[in-house]
Amino acid sequence: MDDLRIIERTSNMNDIKISAKGVQVFYGDTHAIKDVDVEIADKTVTAFIGPSGCGKSTFLRCLNRMNDTIDICRVEGSIAIDGQDIYDKRVDPVQLRAKVGMVFQKPNPFPKSIYDNVAYGPKIHGLARTKADLDEIVEASLRRAALWNEVKDRLQAPGTGLSGGQQQRLCIARAVATAPEVLLMDEPCSALDPIATAQVEELIDELRQQFSVVIVTHSMQQAARVSQKTAFFHLGNLVEFNDTDQIFTNPQDPRTESYITGRIG
Amino acid sequence: MNDQHIVASFDRDLESIQSSVIKMGGLVEQALADAAKALKSRDADLAEVVRKGDKVIDELDLHVKTDAARLLALRSPTAKDLRLVLAVMEISSHLERCGDYAKNIAKRTQAMSGAGAITGTLSDLGRMSAFVENMINDVLDAFIQRDVAKAEEIIERDLEADQIYNTLFRSFLTHMMEDHKNIAVGMHLHFIAKNIERIGDHATGIAEQTIYAVTGKLPEDDRPKYDRIALELHESDL
Repeated sequence: MDDLRIIERTSNMNDIKISAKGVQVFYGDTHAIKDVDVEIADKTVTAFIGPSGCGKSTFLRCLNRMNDTIDICRVEGSIAIDGQDIYDKRVDPVQLRAKVGMVFQKPNPFPKSIYDNVAYGPKIHGLARTKADLDEIVEASLRRAALWNEVKDRLQAPGTGLSGGQQQRLCIARAVATAPEVLLMDEPCSALDPIATAQVEELIDELRQQFSVVIVTHSMQQAARVSQKTAFFHLGNLVEFNDTDQIFTNPQDPRTESYITGRIG
Repeated sequence: MNDQHIVASFDRDLESIQSSVIKMGGLVEQALADAAKALKSRDADLAEVVRKGDKVIDELDLHVKTDAARLLALRSPTAKDLRLVLAVMEISSHLERCGDYAKNIAKRTQAMSGAGAITGTLSDLGRMSAFVENMINDVLDAFIQRDVAKAEEIIERDLEADQIYNTLFRSFLTHMMEDHKNIAVGMHLHFIAKNIERIGDHATGIAEQTIYAVTGKLPEDDRPKYDRIALELHESDL
């Protein structure tokens, strides 16, 4: 009978992509992340949920050192991707961010053509030797972002001329183009309509065949739909981290229960 | 942890389906008590009241299912709220079946009016139905109070209902073998006993749903099956 049950929600926790230990983040005097330990599996969608200001975006931004760009921000503890400490002095943040791509809340295409938006990353990281290579990467990335059929006849049109949902998928294509191993998504659907949201969610499910996806979302239903693992953050603490179906049917911590059932916490 | 939802109407919706199911429980208890009373006193009119009353229970069941479906669609409940809605739907189905059994007892009572009773068995049936009625009453209390220990106790208690049924089974069989004129009434009375025994099983089902709503786990069914003993007994006696 097992083969009739829902099986696609499985994730292999033996294959750890990101391992964070004792992570603390301070913005000046504010203690934003308090001693977070978490292991993120490869080829799995992990969702971070929690109320505003709980630290989920801050933690996400630690995973590709986006917090380096904030002067008063200080990160302690260790974060390793494939066993390599990403805060090691020898690690080049620019190279790291090619490996750990990011998609933001608001679609932010470059004020360039659709083609150049996607080609930019592979160009600066030297991933394409010839124009033909680059064309291939652009097409493959746009296809993976489920945008190719809509834009293939107007690759030279400005990226900013696309609809919101298309722009977000363009940003995903841009992130995918540098062949990342991890994709971080900070509320990728909050500015999109339900159809574009569904397209992005479908895309997330496809992307996880190839890499580890970490998504921050305020929509708990979205977390429930797209992820295999869910982490609940509250006041800078990682309160509960478990299989998504467990979190949404039988959470163990009363704070998680209060939050996901919409009670006053 | 605060137990109120930020959206107050969510609480009202959850409250509403629970009170409907509790109301159903009250009606089922009453139907069972009336059916037992009608059987004991050979009261065809009271039996008719029970038969007609089942319609109300069926309507409430439909009402609970419709409201629960609406709640699932509109509120997307999670965690204990989700488990509560699922449990309420199951409990409603259990109670609806109990209503059907009470109705069947009333029908058989009407069919037997005029025929002689098998001595002794009526008081046993009365005792059994009072026992099972108590199970329904207590299991609904356990559900309202989210009392897992009490629910577990009811699951245990069902063994006793099964044992009373087995005793009655043996006694009906004996009576029917002694005098074939007892067969028609004996068959009716046996089905009545079986109906009451089934109501006990549904009380157990409600207890299991209560445990699920509270803990998120369904208890495993590892109790001995006494019905099987009845079957073995049947073969050896023939």
